[in-house]
Amino acid sequence: MKTKASLLLLLLGLIVSTNLFICNDVMAQEAKRPNILLIVADDMGYSDLGCYGGEINTPVLDNLSTEGVRYTNFYVSPTCSVTRSMLLTGTDNHVAGLGNMGELNAPNQMGQPGYEGVLNDDVVTVASLLKDNGYHTYMAGKWHLGLAQDEIPHARGFERDFSLLVGGGSHFNNGWNLEWQIPNAPYTEDGKPVEKLPKDFYSSKNYTDKTIQFIEEGRNDGKPFFAYMAYTAPHGPLQVPNKWLRRYKNHYDEGWDGIREKRLARMEELGIVDEGVNSADRLYFLPRSSGLTPALRVALGRKMEIYASMVEYMDDQIGRVFDYLKEIGEYENTIVIFISDNGAEGNDLRSMVAGQPGSMGFLHGMNSFAENSHNSIGRQGTYAEYGAAWAQVSMTPFRIYKGWTAEGGIRSPLIVSGPGVQGSGELNKDAVLHVKDIVPTILELASVEHPSSFNGREVAPVQGKSWVEMLEGETQSPRGPNDWLGWELFGNRAIRQGDWKISSLYQPLGTGDWQLYNLAEDPGEQNDLSDKRPDKRKELIALWEEYEKTNGVIIGNRSPFERAKKALPDPVPEYDNYPPLRGIEAVPYEKLLEMMNK
Amino acid sequence: MKTKVMDIKSISRSKWLPLYFAIVTTIFSFNMPAVAQDDGARSYWKGRSGTNVMSFQYLPINIGASDSKAFAPGQYIYPNSDVNANVFVGTYSRHMTIFNRASALTVNVIGGSVGATMNASIGSDSLLLPPGIGPGASFSQSSNGFADPNIQLAVNLIGTSKLKSTVDLLNYEPKVTLDIALLVAVPIGKYDNEKMVNLGLNRWYGRIALPFKYHFGVFSPGYMWSFELVPSVYIFAENSDFLGRKLENEPLWSIESHLTCDFTTNFFGSLDVLYQNGFKSKIDGTEVGENIEIGTIGFTLNYSVSDNITLRTSYNSNVFGDDNLETSSIRLQFVYAWNKPSQNAKKLQHGH
Repeated sequence: MKTKASLLLLLLGLIVSTNLFICNDVMAQEAKRPNILLIVADDMGYSDLGCYGGEINTPVLDNLSTEGVRYTNFYVSPTCSVTRSMLLTGTDNHVAGLGNMGELNAPNQMGQPGYEGVLNDDVVTVASLLKDNGYHTYMAGKWHLGLAQDEIPHARGFERDFSLLVGGGSHFNNGWNLEWQIPNAPYTEDGKPVEKLPKDFYSSKNYTDKTIQFIEEGRNDGKPFFAYMAYTAPHGPLQVPNKWLRRYKNHYDEGWDGIREKRLARMEELGIVDEGVNSADRLYFLPRSSGLTPALRVALGRKMEIYASMVEYMDDQIGRVFDYLKEIGEYENTIVIFISDNGAEGNDLRSMVAGQPGSMGFLHGMNSFAENSHNSIGRQGTYAEYGAAWAQVSMTPFRIYKGWTAEGGIRSPLIVSGPGVQGSGELNKDAVLHVKDIVPTILELASVEHPSSFNGREVAPVQGKSWVEMLEGETQSPRGPNDWLGWELFGNRAIRQGDWKISSLYQPLGTGDWQLYNLAEDPGEQNDLSDKRPDKRKELIALWEEYEKTNGVIIGNRSPFERAKKALPDPVPEYDNYPPLRGIEAVPYEKLLEMMNK
Repeated sequence: MKTKVMDIKSISRSKWLPLYFAIVTTIFSFNMPAVAQDDGARSYWKGRSGTNVMSFQYLPINIGASDSKAFAPGQYIYPNSDVNANVFVGTYSRHMTIFNRASALTVNVIGGSVGATMNASIGSDSLLLPPGIGPGASFSQSSNGFADPNIQLAVNLIGTSKLKSTVDLLNYEPKVTLDIALLVAVPIGKYDNEKMVNLGLNRWYGRIALPFKYHFGVFSPGYMWSFELVPSVYIFAENSDFLGRKLENEPLWSIESHLTCDFTTNFFGSLDVLYQNGFKSKIDGTEVGENIEIGTIGFTLNYSVSDNITLRTSYNSNVFGDDNLETSSIRLQFVYAWNKPSQNAKKLQHGH
């Protein structure tokens, strides 16, 4: 009996100690798993950050780049919701429900699988998976992936959120939406509608406040967090708090050509691009800035000033989150990923939104953002965009901008930093990376498997490739020479494999047919090599067909760019000897001002 | 000052072309030295160098004195008197740059008629009786013609550097400004040494003012607010032939204030306050009467009909200061302003 009792005690002791051991092990594992801070800028250009050659003051992200690694070949989609669908699911947008932007679905895409215009049920978000696997999941900022109760962040895996559900609107508390159909931009907090924004609301500030608040309120249980900071800066309307309005006063009076040249020189210095890089020419329909009056340059430069202030303000706010994480001792255990969601905005979205007099859009504009005088822009109640010429500066050295599958629409800066990321301060120019890679990377870092089903429904597998080996310094790229990437939006499409890219763009910015580029030699996509390498073109077209089939792409029978050919003048190349009167560019700007003042 | 900059669309060259000519800067400015009045709201707002402003004003003025004296300026008003004046002021102003500061030179030509009915019951002060009028008698006098013209130079000291080009105007967002304004009146107006009532003063006088402004809100048409304060002092030379005697006056201190606000891009209003004190007189070395003390409150409405034409009206009446004085005046003003580069830009844009 005594022996039995002793054995029982021993067994009990073993069970208890084993359980304790298991618990300790789990807790130790929990402690080891990193926090993930995913920061997304909205419509920010490839070369705007100081660490990518921009003249905009971004000390926080520049510093992040010295702690982590910058990548020069990181790809997103040409527009925001499309990118976000891939960012949060790791699969192609045509699978995830954003085959097209919900607002712009073509008639033949309506109701088709993959074109729901919201995240569909075929995918699961990284937030849902992390939440189910011991992570706190927070989101602050822009969602743009669905408005219905079962489509909002709270329903798609975020336990805490403060979200702008739509694509954009006023950055201040007057909260107008870009679209007249929903005049007031809908926000949710923890899944419930926000009735009224705070009086001092400014997007970047409040998204930062909320992120810090969520982390603070959830940190006592020791669980790691996944925080998705989806800033709406510097998406139009270009607006910034009054104190920041004149931070870049007169910085851009020189005009876009000079600023772009200087950017390019800094990018060469930093090694972001190769010396003597074949950068894109100024788009043919844009005037050279030296041909504009100093006054017009000041007026146009003001828009870029406000854009730059928005970028710096966002950088400053990101700094607040970093400071907070350092204060609570979590910074060292946090993987930070910073990206932009697409190329800089060069389209005249304001005109599209405001429509023609007599339209509902125009009525909405009258009520919400009619004021746009020189000294007003950037403030509440105004709506300025900085236009195609400055967007090209933001996308130096690439061609075109947001909305197009040229490099200017789909190349984004990428900085990754945090525990385990090897090569502080380095620049990785070898890796060809895609926004779809972020989900598998985060899941691997968090030791979470992507399931084949979720909540009883089958979910699409991730298409991206994890970067973990690359981050740990074991490889230079998750992709080999035969791996390839594909894009399609609004009927514009592209395939990249290795250094080769084919793209088919609407006229007149493209030819409406496939063009072939070698991005290693020609990142500006200036020389169509279709005639020289028909074999390569054919190979890539075959990949496109595979991409189209695999992802269920339906080319829309309507497109926002279908009238681009009529809206823009014929592309007439600018020759060195025409127009014959040249040389005005040689006059220094100060001298020119002096002349104009006489 | 009003600055209009057409917005830029970025889609097509056809939209760009007009923009080469699109910066149209139109400036209106008022720079009116006082004529028994304040300078007026936004008088010291600076325009683009080279801008010309012509203005015509009509001011019906009424002054009623029971037991006090008033100033109009340099006029000595009897107790128990009524003065009615119809004054016309023609002004030419040119905005310029002096020492790299925004400045304005203004010339005022003043004319009209003034009539006064006075009671000489003050009696004991025989020094003030015109020839042929005995103590206790009532009499009327009038005058018409031109008053003393004056010229004023206003130069900014703080807050407004040169406004030579459209670039300067685009960059101009004043917060606090301080000017200095020097006015001199030339004694060539109509003067009769046997009359109490004259349009000319028969003496030099001048004024030093330090106009100060604080701008609220956005410096953009439709959103401008300003608080303006113009402390000034008038200084008078002696009139050696005032009814055959020598008239001297102490300085007249003045402070003028306006709170202005844009109602629309073309329309602003102002609440106006003016306080004046001083001007004690001496005749042949003997002090006569007390300091004049006038405090008026009024309002101004200003409407820009076009880029070149503005209409303005204002009304004021004394509500503090000397209780025995009643003054009221109305201002009706027509302003035409032009600036050569702006006019040329318009011509070019419209294909003239």
